[in-house]
Amino acid sequence: MSDPAPPTQPGPGSAASPLSSGVALVDVNNFYVSSERAFDPSLEGRPLVVLSNNDGCVITRSAEAKALGIPMGAPWFQIAEQAKAWGLQVRSSNYELYGDMSARVMEVLGRYTTDLEIYSIDEAFLTLDGTHGEQHVTGRIIKASVRRNTGLPVCVGIAPTKTLAKLANRWAKGNPNFDGVCHWDLVPEDQRQSLLHRLKVTDIWGVGTRNGARLNAIGIDTAWDLAAADPVLIRKRFSVVLMRTVLELQGTPCITSIESTGNEQVFFSRSFANPVNSRDAMQQALSVYAQGAASRLARKNLQGRVLTAFAGTSPFSTGTKSSPSICIPLPAHTANPLDLTRAAHKLLPLIEEGVPYIRAGVIITDLQPVGTQDALLTLDLDSGANTGQTPGKDAGPLLHEIGQKFGRSSIGLGHAGLKAGSEWTMKRDMLSPHYTTKWTDLPVVKAQ
Amino acid sequence: MDEFGASGTALGRPAPAAVRAGLMPSGFASPAQDWFEDRIDLNRHLIKDITSTYIVRVSGHAMDGAGISDGDELIVDRALQPRDGSVVIAVLDGELIIRRLRITNADPSTNTAGTGEGTGTSVALIAASSAYPPIPVPDPDDLVIWGVATRCLHHV
Repeated sequence: MSDPAPPTQPGPGSAASPLSSGVALVDVNNFYVSSERAFDPSLEGRPLVVLSNNDGCVITRSAEAKALGIPMGAPWFQIAEQAKAWGLQVRSSNYELYGDMSARVMEVLGRYTTDLEIYSIDEAFLTLDGTHGEQHVTGRIIKASVRRNTGLPVCVGIAPTKTLAKLANRWAKGNPNFDGVCHWDLVPEDQRQSLLHRLKVTDIWGVGTRNGARLNAIGIDTAWDLAAADPVLIRKRFSVVLMRTVLELQGTPCITSIESTGNEQVFFSRSFANPVNSRDAMQQALSVYAQGAASRLARKNLQGRVLTAFAGTSPFSTGTKSSPSICIPLPAHTANPLDLTRAAHKLLPLIEEGVPYIRAGVIITDLQPVGTQDALLTLDLDSGANTGQTPGKDAGPLLHEIGQKFGRSSIGLGHAGLKAGSEWTMKRDMLSPHYTTKWTDLPVVKAQ
Repeated sequence: MDEFGASGTALGRPAPAAVRAGLMPSGFASPAQDWFEDRIDLNRHLIKDITSTYIVRVSGHAMDGAGISDGDELIVDRALQPRDGSVVIAVLDGELIIRRLRITNADPSTNTAGTGEGTGTSVALIAASSAYPPIPVPDPDDLVIWGVATRCLHHV
């Protein structure tokens, strides 16, 4: 099989033209940690971990925390006692902050491409035009620009295909010589080959551990081996998805941008019989609507990547008017009612207690058919914080089916399944302020 | 902004108004309907680039003389190049400090931060109240400017 990509040549299929189109994968280094540090400089240089929902376990570690030997996924209760002795800084997941910083990053990225594909909260694929050299320059500009506007450090990997861009990005992160921006085609061929020989096949984006074991069994151990494999054989023995990975390693782009379905959206909204004037009641309503939307998605065999939740008071009321809305990027395309409900609940902090809301709803946008892309796209090489994997992945269709058989309110998650759910709030004891989304939480600057 | 998943909160887009001028009333058409204009949107006028703009709150009296009081909010642009005279948010000992940046350079044409390798450049962070002594910056390259204040939302 041919080499993964010819050196310093335009990508395959465009050899005649000096211009080519490349794919850049831009992601924020240690996104949660970096977001915390952007507003609290005292965290710079100190070991810092961010905990998962309900302060369960470590989902992001700063380099200093890694150096302490704190493993990814360590349950908080196990390390809590040593935290003080270590000087370990701990934060609950501040999704309000991360969501806003993510939106800022994505907006900046959007200025440098006509084709931005948000892949997760902290990474996106961009199409870059121009020569390889020009693409590389654009990569450097992007890195500087995100840093300047948000304070967040990013790495950029550029290549003819997404799979190689992912590789280049990882390389840029691991090797300081790249200074955060690696263009695959500008790296000398022998270095690329040596990298592919060193990388385990499971380090390749899209190759899961299960496939990894089966690949090893037929003698495919390294990225190089997989790049040299016969795509047709791989399709026969494995899947068309893995075949695409092989082709992408060989330089043929075939994981295309998620087919846009235009302005299609799932809109689930109701007016309330009686005004809702507490966050608690609103939470129940949002749960029901999010699951209604999930059910609708399941029925259409669609998944969405962006959820908008909103509520509103009566336009005719003379009292306080309030129409909060919030737009939440989902970790990946999903129709999972757990994901959607969780996202819809992000509206709750914007709900004012005691104000009579007469309507609320959720809108799911950026839709795609189930099974087109994200099953492949859930692998993350580095952080694990954003694998896009959610427990209960198959809950959507199941809940939908049960609801069909036994009536819509026969089953549901949390409040949506019960008439009066118990008090439920996410535990976030070590939460930093919502620096950018809440007026009472603004960063304080000292004039002392 | 929506297509990038922006959160529609503090700095985002304005919440949609439930009732907008120009909607058809059931009785008489509004004589103003052809002259409809959006309401003044402070975001539009006060914020140049939403992605680099942050709002911070002032604590303390060191900037009183510049009209920046304890409890005021500031609009800060992180992307702006700080210059001599800029009111800046600097990182000092892990804290965000507000001061006026004072750069004195033998060659005034290079009066920007971070270019102080040459001789004759001295950088200091100056309060706007004599009760607070200037904070000297021995090595300008070590100075971290977090952002440049562009507006003060002074409580009157």
